[in-house]
Amino acid sequence: MYECVLSAVNERLNSEIAARYAMRFALSAGARLCLAYTVEKDTPRDVVIKAEESMGRILIEAKRLDIEVKSISVIGEIEKLMTSIVKDEEVDIVFASTRRAGVGRKIFKGSASIRLMESTPCAFALVGVVHAGRIHPGNILVPLKARMNSIDERAYFTAKIATAFNSKVVLFHSPKPFKRFFTGEVQLSHHELKEKSPKDIKEFLRQLQHYGVKPADRHVPGRSSKTIAEEAFAGSHDLIIMGASERGFFKSVVRGNPIEELLVKTPCNIIIHRPGRKR
Amino acid sequence: MKLQELSPADALKSLVTTTDGLDEAEAKKRLDEFGPNQIKEVGKKSLLLRFLAEFTHFLAILLLTGAGLAFASEYFKPGEGMLALGLAIVFVIFINAVFTFTQEYKAERALNALKEMLPFMVKAVRGGKRLDIEAKVLVPGDVIIIEEGDKIPADSRVIECSILKVNNSALTGESEPVLRNAEPSRAESLESPNVLFAGTNVVSGSGRAVVYATGMRTEFGRIAHLTASVESGPSPLQREIVKVTRIVAFIAVVMGAVFFVIGMYMGRTMWENYLFAIGIIVANVPEGLLPTVTLALAMGSRRMAERKALIKTLTSVETLGCVTVICTDKTGTLTQNKMTVKSIWPVASHTNELMKAAYLCNNARYENGVYKGDSTETALLSFARSNIGKLSVRRISEIPFDSERKRMTTVNEIDGQKFSFSKGAVEGILSSCGSLIVNGVENPMDADKRAMVLAEAVKMMDGGERVLGFACKKLPAADEAIEEGMIFAGLIGIEDPPRPEVSDALKRCTDAGIRVIMITGDASATATAIAKEIGMIDGEAVVVEGSQFRDMSDDDARKILVQKNLIFSRMTPKSKMRVVQLLGGLGEVVAVTGDGVNDAPALKKADIGIAMGIAGTDVAKEAADMILLDDNFATIVNAVEEGRAVYENIRKFISYIFSSNIPEVIPYLGYVLLNIPLPLTIMQILAIDLGTDMVPALALGAERPTKDLMKNAPRSKKERLLNFSLLSRAYLFLGPLEAVAGMYAFFMVLSAGGWVWNQPIAPNNPIYMQATTACLTAIVICQVGNVFACRSFKETLFTIGFFTNKLIFIGIAVELLIQVFIVYHPIGNKLFSTYPISGMVWLSLLPFGMLMIIAEEARKAFVRRFASGLLTR
Repeated sequence: MYECVLSAVNERLNSEIAARYAMRFALSAGARLCLAYTVEKDTPRDVVIKAEESMGRILIEAKRLDIEVKSISVIGEIEKLMTSIVKDEEVDIVFASTRRAGVGRKIFKGSASIRLMESTPCAFALVGVVHAGRIHPGNILVPLKARMNSIDERAYFTAKIATAFNSKVVLFHSPKPFKRFFTGEVQLSHHELKEKSPKDIKEFLRQLQHYGVKPADRHVPGRSSKTIAEEAFAGSHDLIIMGASERGFFKSVVRGNPIEELLVKTPCNIIIHRPGRKR
Repeated sequence: MKLQELSPADALKSLVTTTDGLDEAEAKKRLDEFGPNQIKEVGKKSLLLRFLAEFTHFLAILLLTGAGLAFASEYFKPGEGMLALGLAIVFVIFINAVFTFTQEYKAERALNALKEMLPFMVKAVRGGKRLDIEAKVLVPGDVIIIEEGDKIPADSRVIECSILKVNNSALTGESEPVLRNAEPSRAESLESPNVLFAGTNVVSGSGRAVVYATGMRTEFGRIAHLTASVESGPSPLQREIVKVTRIVAFIAVVMGAVFFVIGMYMGRTMWENYLFAIGIIVANVPEGLLPTVTLALAMGSRRMAERKALIKTLTSVETLGCVTVICTDKTGTLTQNKMTVKSIWPVASHTNELMKAAYLCNNARYENGVYKGDSTETALLSFARSNIGKLSVRRISEIPFDSERKRMTTVNEIDGQKFSFSKGAVEGILSSCGSLIVNGVENPMDADKRAMVLAEAVKMMDGGERVLGFACKKLPAADEAIEEGMIFAGLIGIEDPPRPEVSDALKRCTDAGIRVIMITGDASATATAIAKEIGMIDGEAVVVEGSQFRDMSDDDARKILVQKNLIFSRMTPKSKMRVVQLLGGLGEVVAVTGDGVNDAPALKKADIGIAMGIAGTDVAKEAADMILLDDNFATIVNAVEEGRAVYENIRKFISYIFSSNIPEVIPYLGYVLLNIPLPLTIMQILAIDLGTDMVPALALGAERPTKDLMKNAPRSKKERLLNFSLLSRAYLFLGPLEAVAGMYAFFMVLSAGGWVWNQPIAPNNPIYMQATTACLTAIVICQVGNVFACRSFKETLFTIGFFTNKLIFIGIAVELLIQVFIVYHPIGNKLFSTYPISGMVWLSLLPFGMLMIIAEEARKAFVRRFASGLLTR
């Protein structure tokens, strides 16, 4: 499904950590790895050196792991350059790190990484790095929505990340609390919640098992951004993999965006995966 | 692979830093990326929003609508008392909001207590220079310098150290300091000896470490986040109150609407029907319920405090009564936390090397007649000292205890000769011994002797003892191998005796259908032996070790959690939260005990978090719903009994409050259906609901627990506060009797004043006003009888004792005083449209009060004789 993985590298630690995820993912998926450093004009020399050092470290590690790897350094505007690299190298998925400065914004549209995600014509994995110590995730939390698109691709991505690190996977669904007029909120047991689990989630589970991952599942009714963060904290998860938000502008303004909220609250690193688009 | 598994050099490389630390520019960049190293508040609704929410629930909206209609009426038809009604309803809403808000609001002081555990300034290396910097600007990749007495500012990987010991009790609950080193480790991060955690303290030594997690991403931040954000959800009582108010509100609205339509059909004016609809709603809604429930809970919490259980969250008073599972610590709760030596092996070893090893391989102290130090060590020192007296020996060196080696060793000089003494886990000690002493004779250690020692150790552990092995060795001057070829000196079994009152408390739990699960850091054998000794298990124990539980899937863990005789041994506080979560998912109402900082999330998550008042940390106490002032398990069971009593009492006063709804509604039905003058005004209804009924209802909240309260299983989640038997007793039995009294009083006064059927009468006619006053008085007198009737559901008043609840008489006195004020004081007359009535009217109504008691006694006798179990709850 993914034959070429591109990772955007810069001088920051979080981009190097994101590139390590990309590298391990490429290894697990049997894909080629492309490391790209796009530098804008007038970038200070020391910044360029740091980015090149970072790229050098990843290259060495990738070669040690016997991954087919290539590095590209180009000058210009990142969004345009990345689009052209994706086309030229026939990239199937791009890994890029997000900046903390971008995640606090209410509407989130202004962040460079989000613009990059929007403009990239292939699958995208946006990596939020908040914890530098959990190099290999032992426990991965995968929050799921009731309705999902590209279930197969999402399951494949999750499975490959999990097998890359030999991680345990916990599928997490946070349905709306079940309420009745006279009785208020009805507390359902785990089994009742599991039985009511939406068919897309059951399908995701089936696909994941097809790719050799046997996940645990948890169902906690409530507001998703709160329950996911609480689960990530309580379960000491090392990584969260989420699907990209499909919430429109107005819905985000009115009801908030769980992904934005989670990027602010998360105790561990997070990968937001957007399935590929037909090129 | 995790950071602790890497060598120091690789760990630094992985964090893209060096032993010289980050340069300032890189540190600034990382500060932008990772944020400040601070414990942050978890975003919650502001206090104002939380208060305003109390005005937007169903009952409040209903009442607000009623108030709005009253104000509109005042605008269109001024001078009919609707302004006063509107204001009264707004007042009711406000009072309800204040009561509920104060009940739910709990200051987040636990988070502040956590923040105080982090340092303000730290020593760090940046750009090769040693600097004092603010802890909040630390970033991943920073190299910090740590010394004795320092607080650790962030989660860090040790890169070099010298005899570095830290106290991790904030995270692990283990009070014994642990040794750190810089070697790679494959252990989990909390157990890894090369990791330092934010919020812990350096006890001795020094070192350098590289920071890898800051702020809310540290283990400490994890606890802070969970402590601040985790909620156990509404209590069973809060859920029931929601149901009650919705049901009642629904009945009120439907009745109001239906009779509005009937009134229109019967040709009454729109205004009359409108007035009627408001009246029927006000009559049906129990305006005084929420304040009364809150005050009853407050009284319950006071009674619990007298029994050494300090309640911090009012609703917890009742939740305690629903508890189905108690997850309890062992040490200090089930046991006395007073370690004493129970047995030694070989038996005749009181004066030999075993005693010297127990004395000298020990860091406890005896100062001013008091033993100071770790409880195990003080027990050993005290025992050895009592056997061989005081020893004056110089200690040369010490290899401290650490969790990987599970032993400690000291080198001492006795009469110019060096000796090494070791103590620790039996298997570890045996592995370093080449011989053992039996009956004062040294024998070579072989497989048989090793097996004999181990069998002896197992026997002692089965008796609930914590068993330590001891060894010694005479050291030639140049001998370096102080822990090799030692002589096995013997075993000492230490016991923490159970609290004497615990066995009885556990029996009460069994009778009350409450499961008790022990969660302890102790070994399985010790935990099982204690559980057997105190009667916690009946049959074969199901023992799950912490490591097993950690590796278990949720489904497997759920299967374990439903079993009887369950003991969790070698558990870390971190796993407690998972136990609580899973039990909650199984529909259990869980009480959990805790004392450490790391227990705080579990204490918050549980339906009832119970902190230890003596041994508990401030964080645990702040996070808990209840504090045990004596750390005693038996106190929890007493509190459960009080909780059950509170629920019973709430049901009693709901019976009482709801009974008066019928005599409040019937006058309105008569007004519409029979075209009679209105026998009771809306303000007079409010006088009952928010005035005369309140104090007697509260007095019912102070009834003592009945004898068989702890013989029944916990209340089912399906059991409703407002069930059919309670409603039928109030609405179909007691209420109609009161309605008859009220209507009798009304017509008696009207007839005496010359009124004839269908004759119109003005609202300000003194005869009419006296008649409504008589109706009100009749209801109040009936409620005086009813308060006695509602003291029990099936026991006769003569069994429970007429004078056993003195508050009842105070309540009645207050009730009658309010009524006298309403009837005879000009202000009362003006507010409630009443008019003084003669003493004869009062006298003529007294039999109705007596009738309430007699009728209810007859019903109870019938229930006891013919329908036990039915119509009793």
